[in-house]
Amino acid sequence: MRRNFTALVLLCALFGPAMVFGQTKMKDGQIATVLLPNRSPLVTFRILFNTGAAFDPPGKEGLASLTAAMIAKGGTRTRSYEEIVEAMYPLATSFEWQVDKEMTVFYGTTHLDNLERYYALIREMLLDPGFREEDFKRLKADAINFLKINLRQSNDEELGKEHLYNVIYADHPYGHHNMGRVSALEKLSLDDVRDFYRRNYTQANLVIGLAGGYPPAFVSKMASDFAKLPLGERTTVRFATPKLEPGTHIEIIRRPTRSTAISIGFPIAVKRGDPDWPALALVASYFGQHRSSNSYLYQRIRELRGLNYGDYAYIEYFPRGMFQFTPDPNLARQQQIFQIWIRPVEPQNAHFTLRLALYEFDKLLRDGLTRESFEATREFLTKYVDVLTQTQDAQLGYALDSRYYRIPDFATYVREQLKRLTLEDVNRAIRKHLRNDSLRIVIVTEDADALRAAIVGNRPSPITYTSPKPREILEEDKAIEKYPINVKPEHVRVVPVERVFE
Amino acid sequence: MKALLACSLLLCLPLAMLAQQKRKVFPYDYAMDDLPNGLRLITVPTDYPNLVALYIVVAAGSRNEVEPGKSGYAHLFEHMMFRGSKNFTPEERDAILKRAGASSNAYTTDDRTVYHEVFSKDDLEKIMELEADRFLRLQYSPEVYKTETGAVLGEYNKNSSNPIFKLYETLRATAFRRHTYAHTTMGFLEDIKDMPNQYDYSIQFYKRYYRPEYTTIILVGDVTHDRALELTRRYFGDWQRGDYRPEIPSEPPQDRPRTAHVDWPAQTLPLVAIAFRGPAYADDRKDKAALDLLAPIAFGENSDLYQKLVLREQKADLLEVEFDNKIDPELFTVYARVKNPQDVEYVRDEILKTFARFTRELVDQKRLDATRSHLRYGFALAMDSSEAIASALAPFVALRRTPETINRLYALYDQITPEDIRETAARYFTEKNRTIVTLAARPDATRKEGGR
Repeated sequence: MRRNFTALVLLCALFGPAMVFGQTKMKDGQIATVLLPNRSPLVTFRILFNTGAAFDPPGKEGLASLTAAMIAKGGTRTRSYEEIVEAMYPLATSFEWQVDKEMTVFYGTTHLDNLERYYALIREMLLDPGFREEDFKRLKADAINFLKINLRQSNDEELGKEHLYNVIYADHPYGHHNMGRVSALEKLSLDDVRDFYRRNYTQANLVIGLAGGYPPAFVSKMASDFAKLPLGERTTVRFATPKLEPGTHIEIIRRPTRSTAISIGFPIAVKRGDPDWPALALVASYFGQHRSSNSYLYQRIRELRGLNYGDYAYIEYFPRGMFQFTPDPNLARQQQIFQIWIRPVEPQNAHFTLRLALYEFDKLLRDGLTRESFEATREFLTKYVDVLTQTQDAQLGYALDSRYYRIPDFATYVREQLKRLTLEDVNRAIRKHLRNDSLRIVIVTEDADALRAAIVGNRPSPITYTSPKPREILEEDKAIEKYPINVKPEHVRVVPVERVFE
Repeated sequence: MKALLACSLLLCLPLAMLAQQKRKVFPYDYAMDDLPNGLRLITVPTDYPNLVALYIVVAAGSRNEVEPGKSGYAHLFEHMMFRGSKNFTPEERDAILKRAGASSNAYTTDDRTVYHEVFSKDDLEKIMELEADRFLRLQYSPEVYKTETGAVLGEYNKNSSNPIFKLYETLRATAFRRHTYAHTTMGFLEDIKDMPNQYDYSIQFYKRYYRPEYTTIILVGDVTHDRALELTRRYFGDWQRGDYRPEIPSEPPQDRPRTAHVDWPAQTLPLVAIAFRGPAYADDRKDKAALDLLAPIAFGENSDLYQKLVLREQKADLLEVEFDNKIDPELFTVYARVKNPQDVEYVRDEILKTFARFTRELVDQKRLDATRSHLRYGFALAMDSSEAIASALAPFVALRRTPETINRLYALYDQITPEDIRETAARYFTEKNRTIVTLAARPDATRKEGGR
């Protein structure tokens, strides 16, 4: 095996990814596939089911995630989870899971040397899960602790960002965290998991994604193995854009913390593949490209004023953004929000920074982009799409998403759409889809009552800096410190942290 | 001067002979060039199309912060490097990177500061010019400096809501007393708060360490060696060598076990960190390699302890081992998050028993072989793009300035025996070498939070 391994790694250096990418939709019975064969010695699996947290039965929020965890992090009928870990160990690989509202994906990469051994394990995990009591107890506790400790008590930014979704999608199938609700998780049973698996893990919901140097016959073998799943019916649920009560609403989550995190958002009726998606993608990149100093908001809040670590904007769900530079694929959804993420600021600057963010957002709505900003952002995105799709795993993930959104290969789609896009398209899309009259804002801070009083009273929030600032900034600050936040007192609520995700 | 390495010769050999060559875990053909000023260039052409990854590695990190009251400056400096240079304002810099479709960022650790970009190959020359300008001719005003210290405090603040960060910070300050590993890369909070007043010191830091002899440029991707060398000479050739050598205080031997406890003001599950003073990185001595192999065997997901505490008894929901490659002797640390506060002592004792066990028992030969395979495949699987290759190289380049150190390290792994591991464990995992830090919610944390 070792000899073989060396030869293959060197082959990679020799022939490397002279990759032949194509997206093939192959019918083998009922099973859809997305294939990216190439000559890499690595084989990447992304096995996707068109189901997710939006399909959690009411009162059982968290069931989709717990079911996926039971498959990827639990035993099979014949092997305990310890035995699976043991078998995967020398292969240096694992089998991971991700659940979003409408997608559940299982993924992993193996060296071609180990393809048969790896596949035998994951096939058994997916098709013959053990649903063992001891795994259930452990994974349920993990899910509860994720919400209670990791989100509520360790990461103010993700807490605020995730709660913003729950606020926007209240009374909507998207209205709970993908991991569920604490009170619902506590009541879930193993029978619930079995039932969810039986109903949702069907051939009709399945798409097999495969990339790398796998042998040609491998795909039909997989398809025939997965024909063991029940046929099922294709999911045809349509999720509506939420209708928000008019007016801006603010929720301030109270928890002991050194700083104040802010998230702002509202639903948009635009998803990838829609005519205005490229225009809005360009706007989000211009206004707040993720983790990049190349964006307007970052320049105004961090670079000029030093108020925090970064400030970004999004038109697609992007969890875990503090840990990664590029988004994970397979978070495709029918409904998305426009979101502004203000990284934690010193509490005494929170009111000012919130005003500053809204002031800049209002300016974007009023003025749109200049020709120069438009051209530069278009050039950026045209090239940056290569960065987004530079690994085989990302290429496969994007290909699966392209299938969902019914668009061609993602890089081609982005480049062709951007080529046709005009400044007028972009500014029209801003006017059509972005709005500032019904925002939803989530703030995480310790002295929530004081901040609430300051916001409701529209009190001035003067700012002081440790360093001298140019006169035009100080002039601008004078306007910002009194910039009105149009919100009714009854729409500013303080929420103790332990009620979030409950 | 030009050292084109053995690996490239392999490419000329018939495939059948490849298997007979010594196995190399870093399999890519690369070239290494030293400029007269001490700067080193490592070029790794790959077949991944369109993109080039540029990693500039400065072998200075928070370890180099030797003056009291001046922790956190390597990291602050990483921020300052984005605030303008003689020929490019920050706005011009951003505009060039934007036109290149670049993903651009930087990070700092104890031993290194790494500036990295991945971008379209058509923009390589412009970006080399841009990068050289900040490394050779950085310029920032006291006002801009003060503004940036606010962003650094913001970064500390965002980290500080995580109890694991606090546990780690306390562990470093407890286990190290003289060596600069006592502070995290962020620095001590009081030093961060004083940063706005230390403009001159920040300039001094730049003059000391942002020098060619501390720096290695890594270029990976759709680029030729000739082109990489030509551009490096053109834009970095005039960089003046420095003469500063820091005196990093060495940590005296520990004479007794140490402990510390953190009272956390919010709800959390209790955390335990158990650390032993371990060796520094080495590719020519067995002690680091032996403990690298032991780490997953004793504490990894596949270990007896993990299976007991996390999977069967379910007393802990997190058990992790950390033993980084460092220039100076580093801690071998096991972290656990305990589900029930009453089990903290039990979990701690189980971890301690496991440390003790491997000072007496030999590891199973089959498990050892599986671990070698695990490490080797893990490294290979991680190198799946030009950026990933550059990223995998950077830490090793900061330590030994050559990709060959990776091959030497993995060759060393192949030589380690169960006896080597037991002997090394017995030498390092002694009671007086130990530091234990615990963290738990303050008794009033729940009331404080829910009561109002």
